[in-house]
Amino acid sequence: MHIPDGILPVAVDVAGYATAGALTWFSLRKIQQQENPQEGVPKAALLTAAFFVASWIHIPFPPTSVHLILNGLLGVVLGYYAMPAILVGLFFQAVMFQHGGLTTLGVNATMMGLPALLAYGIFQSRYRLGLAQSDTWTAVFGFAGGAVGVGLAAAIAFTILILTLPGNIDAEAERASITALTVAHVPLMVLEGVFTALLVTFLLRVKPEVLNRPGDVPVKV
Amino acid sequence: MGQQEVGNQPRALKDRGRHASLISSTAALLALVLVLALGGTAAAHGANISYTSTVGVALAAAYDSGEPMAEAQVMIYAPNDLSTPWQTGTTDENGHYFFTPDPELPGTWDVQVRQAGHGQIIHIPLGEGAMPTSGGGGFSTMQIILMSACVIWGLAGTALYFSGRKS
Repeated sequence: MHIPDGILPVAVDVAGYATAGALTWFSLRKIQQQENPQEGVPKAALLTAAFFVASWIHIPFPPTSVHLILNGLLGVVLGYYAMPAILVGLFFQAVMFQHGGLTTLGVNATMMGLPALLAYGIFQSRYRLGLAQSDTWTAVFGFAGGAVGVGLAAAIAFTILILTLPGNIDAEAERASITALTVAHVPLMVLEGVFTALLVTFLLRVKPEVLNRPGDVPVKV
Repeated sequence: MGQQEVGNQPRALKDRGRHASLISSTAALLALVLVLALGGTAAAHGANISYTSTVGVALAAAYDSGEPMAEAQVMIYAPNDLSTPWQTGTTDENGHYFFTPDPELPGTWDVQVRQAGHGQIIHIPLGEGAMPTSGGGGFSTMQIILMSACVIWGLAGTALYFSGRKS
């Protein structure tokens, strides 16, 4: 779900940069408010690397194929660091591999970053519900975060693409293939949800301080 | 007796075949005679073939997973008008598309192939007396591995730098 150059009208590209800029500013401000803002940087750097290569991992769901996105996972594990991490990862993907493009960097960063922050909100809401100590519930919230991240990103991409179909193409055929691609993200939601659940369960056992940040104010959802 | 019958059978078949071909060639001859007799004006026997050689462009579109972009939409923009497509079409099931640009319009032809919001624009320079060329984007697997390795190394280095400072 990386929208490349030349697909969207200029106004949408500009709006994408505006929203991505606002989200990044918000996230950086939240990081700055933390006790030790640099503490999360190593983790964020490593997960940026994972995010960067994830788009090479293709999973066939006939008639189409999708690639891993991992934005929900980044949101769950990194919190507010997810937004800058996604922005940096997308920048490298666009420059190196033409996955996405520089003009659409803002649109793609919003498309993946906003659901990542929402996934973080979902995952952190386990504290409010008093379920943070339970392995099972941590896994369930991890699954929800990972799945919602992908699902919402696919839904945003679908909306943007359908609303900006240019007049000079066969709109019917393009709409059908966009719909097919979006539907193919439903199994990916499950896959990334399970992957996120496994990762948070693992972290909870091995290095729980990575996940236990009740002091962070979760995104109000 | 039975053997004889079996032995005769091919000859009978061959005869029948010969008859059939005789009949068909007779019919053809008859038709020719009829045409000559009835169509008195169909008298042109000379042929004249003229030719113009132009440059055709064969496109091959594939996703970077190697999968062809089957039935993707192709939009071709001539150098004199980059806002309205000069030609639109659809790739075949192997992601191939062929078009013959107008030789009267030298310059850079822009070709966009898109499917489900994925796609790319390539610029094909076509001048007067253009020679056959080929080109395209994409990296080799080795380049991709090396680029990925560099980025991962950089990010891992960042991680190590910050975790080292902490302790």
